[in-house]
Amino acid sequence: MEFENISREIVQAFETGTISAAPETLFAIIIGAIFVNNVVLSQFLGICPFLGVSSKVETSLGMGMAVTFVMALSGVVTWCLQTYVLQPFGIEYMQTIAFILVIAALVQMVEIVLKKASPALYQALGIFLPLITTNCAVLGIAIIAVQKYPFDLLTGVIFSVATALGFALALVLFAGIRERLDVEDVPKAFKGTPIALIAAGLLAMAFMGFAGLV
Amino acid sequence: MSKMQLITKGILKENPTFVLILGMCPTIGVTSSAINGMGMGVATMAVLIMSNVVISLIKNLIPSKVRIPAYIVVIASFVTIIEMLMKAYVPSLYEALGVFIPLIVVNCIILGRAEAFASKNNALDSALDGVGIGLGFTLSLTVVGMVREALGSGSFFGMPFAEDVMPLVFILAPGGFIALGYLMVLFNKISKR
Amino acid sequence: MKSSLKNMVLVLFTIGGVSALLVGLVHNITKDAIAQAEEQKKNKAKFEVLSTTESEAVILEDATRKIGDFEVKVSTVASRATNEIIGYAVEAPSITANGYSDRIYLMVGFVETDGEVRINSVEVLSQKETPGLGANMTKPGNKLENSVLGKNPATMTFKVKKDDPRGSFDALSGSTISSRAYANAMETAYAGYLWAKGVIVAKDNDATAEELVEESVVVEEESMGEEMEDNMGSATQKGEVGHE
Repeated sequence: MEFENISREIVQAFETGTISAAPETLFAIIIGAIFVNNVVLSQFLGICPFLGVSSKVETSLGMGMAVTFVMALSGVVTWCLQTYVLQPFGIEYMQTIAFILVIAALVQMVEIVLKKASPALYQALGIFLPLITTNCAVLGIAIIAVQKYPFDLLTGVIFSVATALGFALALVLFAGIRERLDVEDVPKAFKGTPIALIAAGLLAMAFMGFAGLV
Repeated sequence: MSKMQLITKGILKENPTFVLILGMCPTIGVTSSAINGMGMGVATMAVLIMSNVVISLIKNLIPSKVRIPAYIVVIASFVTIIEMLMKAYVPSLYEALGVFIPLIVVNCIILGRAEAFASKNNALDSALDGVGIGLGFTLSLTVVGMVREALGSGSFFGMPFAEDVMPLVFILAPGGFIALGYLMVLFNKISKR
Repeated sequence: MKSSLKNMVLVLFTIGGVSALLVGLVHNITKDAIAQAEEQKKNKAKFEVLSTTESEAVILEDATRKIGDFEVKVSTVASRATNEIIGYAVEAPSITANGYSDRIYLMVGFVETDGEVRINSVEVLSQKETPGLGANMTKPGNKLENSVLGKNPATMTFKVKKDDPRGSFDALSGSTISSRAYANAMETAYAGYLWAKGVIVAKDNDATAEELVEESVVVEEESMGEEMEDNMGSATQKGEVGHE
């Protein structure tokens, strides 16, 4: 045959007019989102809160939880918005505006509900919530999730949550490093953000080791 | 502050990258080469000037509790409109800057300036603030890009000067953090003197 | 303004509404111009990948193969002066491999020389890879482009060297995923070429290559469509012109 160097998959695609790609396993999605394509350390999203709220392990844990919570919620809402509103009406070009508005509104709502329903949780997460509106990772991941998993809400949400967990993991690890850095004798010009950035670079390098995992 | 100061402050005193530490995502994301850094900087400056003006004009109409969502929506529509106009009428420019445009929406520098400056000042000053901060952002992005490109791919604005043996890590994510960290040290040394 | 609930809701809705209205308006105004600009870019690429221009050459026919949500388009390009086929411009996405953030769309020019196929030139139509890494595939003379230019696709292995020692593709530094998608798009393009030549035959109810060829003849002389097969031999000269 003349085309034996073309993979069976592609020849079949041309013959049948459809593609039968093997679906990603949930395990691969989760590991990929948490470690391999870590949202902060390899996708350059959410770096501002990563640098801003990482001076203490405790606060970073709170921020991580708040982000996970909001990302799970916004994952569901933006997916429905995309599938049931934007696509049927053919106004996908409004995606950014619609998503941003929904996320901002969602955060405000979560804040109000939390304040009434669970003062204890509000005490823990409350101060981080306004910060999340400006966290580019939330919008970025919402867009990636509807792009990657357009047919499957559950997978999309699992992807969003796993990504948020990756964010939380990076944040907490980084806060641990920074707590140690604070008590070290760092040269004056390096103090604060510069040394934190260099530490983040080393952490990112460590995460590169996960690259072959999935 | 005089008009001139508004423009020059972004370069050293209120440098968005090295002093205000704003807009870190694009700073690390796109500065793998000098020309990319410059493109992102210029695109951001254009959006920043316009969004600053619009927000300073409508600042009195917005209740303070919902100002952040309101600003974000204004900025996002702005960016979307600019993207569409560029695509339609100057496709060659879009080719060069297009990839950066959607990234600007999530650039906290725009929101940061809207919140810190445009919401408190008049339209002209806000525009000048946009020019100043935009200039500072463009300059620092270009410098970070130059350093990373020189170390990572051994070239200067796309012109190669070294063979393919450079530490590639500098154009990957970790190198971005590290290069930016060391440049910040340098910046602190110079500006403190 | 005061932050009463009524005010907040009212202002947010007004801003959202005005923004949506403006964006929708601009979208409607620019929609056609954007489509036109993109069409123009693609059209130009069709000629460029065969080292010719629209003033020298003409598209004999366009054939489209729908695969799921994707389309592979094969354009047969002939010289205006002699009506001889110069080559085939194939627009193809990386159908079975994603790049780092999206599919990669290539326009590949195939020319036939002495009965052998050669890749004359490649243009990246769209990609969203990382600037400075995967996005380097758009730069002239990059490693990926160099590993295919002038090669015979029939003898290639559409794999990155890192994955398969026999692979024909040198990966871009630090961007194996983008390089895999590029190789995949190239493989799809070659499959598209073979489909247009009738080597790979569509088995579903969709239109086959031959039918499409006849439906979409765009040339002034209608007879060109049937002459296509006979012209293969004389494409030789054109192929050489294309290599200059």
